[in-house]
Amino acid sequence: MIYFQVLANGLILGGLYACIAVGFSLVWGVLNVINILHGTFVVLGAYVAWFAYAYFGIHPFVSVVIAGAILYVIGHAIQAGLINRVIAAPVLITLTLTFGLDLMLNNAMLVAFTADYRQVNLANPLPAIIIGPVFLPGDRVAAMVLAFLLTGLLWRTLRDSKIGRAIVAVRMDREAAALMGVPVARINAITFGIGALMAGAAGALLSIVYPISPINAPIFLGKAFIVCVIGGLGSVPGAMVGGIALGVVEAFGAFWFGPEHALTISFGLLLLLLFVRPGGILGKKGYE
Amino acid sequence: MSGELAFLASDVEAGYGDVQVLWGVSIEVRAGEIVCIVGSNGVGKSTFMRCASGLLPLRAGTIAIDGVDMSTASSADFVRAGVAHVPEGRRLFSAMSVRDNLLMGAYLREDKAEIEADLEKVYASFPILAERRKQDAGTLSGGEQQMCAIGRGMMARPRLLLIDELSLGLAPRIVDLLSDQLRVINEQGVAVLLVEQDVMNALELADRAYVIDRGRVTASGEAAELAADPRIREAYMGLA
Repeated sequence: MIYFQVLANGLILGGLYACIAVGFSLVWGVLNVINILHGTFVVLGAYVAWFAYAYFGIHPFVSVVIAGAILYVIGHAIQAGLINRVIAAPVLITLTLTFGLDLMLNNAMLVAFTADYRQVNLANPLPAIIIGPVFLPGDRVAAMVLAFLLTGLLWRTLRDSKIGRAIVAVRMDREAAALMGVPVARINAITFGIGALMAGAAGALLSIVYPISPINAPIFLGKAFIVCVIGGLGSVPGAMVGGIALGVVEAFGAFWFGPEHALTISFGLLLLLLFVRPGGILGKKGYE
Repeated sequence: MSGELAFLASDVEAGYGDVQVLWGVSIEVRAGEIVCIVGSNGVGKSTFMRCASGLLPLRAGTIAIDGVDMSTASSADFVRAGVAHVPEGRRLFSAMSVRDNLLMGAYLREDKAEIEADLEKVYASFPILAERRKQDAGTLSGGEQQMCAIGRGMMARPRLLLIDELSLGLAPRIVDLLSDQLRVINEQGVAVLLVEQDVMNALELADRAYVIDRGRVTASGEAAELAADPRIREAYMGLA
């Protein structure tokens, strides 16, 4: 019966992983940019939630919107002002650029916020949900539900909105999209902005689960990377499947082998998948 | 939709990196015309089409539409000015449905009701597309893809349709069908600038033609006259 508890833990973790990874996956898939900044964006979102709660008493779930908006503006500006200038260059150039920007932003956060761990301790946590032998902390379940909702919302936006159709078109063939009159450079900026928005929103959700510090940024980046490879690059359903898979594998890995082996297990899974199914579980199909 | 159109490219030079492809190419398309550009592989026909829709910046020369200079205009500006480009190799959005592909052609338009009406027109011209409207464009046959690409171009309500390689890789029966539809489109007042390697078919379709060789216009005139020119017949049709 304990397995149900482990599975539930894995699903909660997986929902948050999906939310972290989906923006990273979108940016990689559409822009062919491996955005090293992504982990730092997540942490920045978490800081927004922390400050909003500590100073204004704003619940982190509300801060999801604030963090998302702030990070969108930052992401849009970075793409429009910097990355668009080298977007046609080989992927290594844009990777180096985001790596450099990450060093700057992450260290600025270290200076501004210090490396000390902070945590949002909610004054009025939601009651736990107890189903038979399974114990689920209410706030974590709510965070997972919100994470899935956000991811679903992004999926619908890509499918049904005009901007979304343009993003998908740029992803499939940027020159053909330009011929349709799609302003490709602006779509690039919007896409990068949405990637940052999802990172910031995920960070705000994570603020009630994880301790917050700039030194955690590479961990989130690593998770996003693994989720993308597991699920298949550039698709929302891929990030969803990959996130859940990674969450569940980590939960069971931690249960059987100890939490200190969680990273080893997830990277082991990554290597295995690269051998067996390099396109990811959903492969290239799920473009949207 | 129709209106007087004058597409005028003067002394266009363009290329990629160190390689210059076009050397002083001048081509004109007037309202209601079908004009074709013929020539062998790799002489710069597609490069010219890329310039004519704002994909490739000019190194020298000008392109003007209705007397308005478009030399530094973006692709979106060309679409707004009434130019739709059906690119070589179709370039459909392969994992989007046929319907979504056609709607992408109307990306800059806001008139929802009119867009739906134009969608029905495309389906009427190419009934097979109506049947496959929900299928991914990548699953279509070559001929169906070309129909979808032309339909996508028409969804922009162009005054000038640029078509790069209408017939490449398609069965003669399909080419005839597409050529007929192109005449219908032209009769509705849309000018057509067509790039073709199948010189015979192109000269049959067109009112006027330009021959490009190694990045330069080497001959131009009425299509019928060019088709009768022994040098052209020998060089491009294998006929003496």
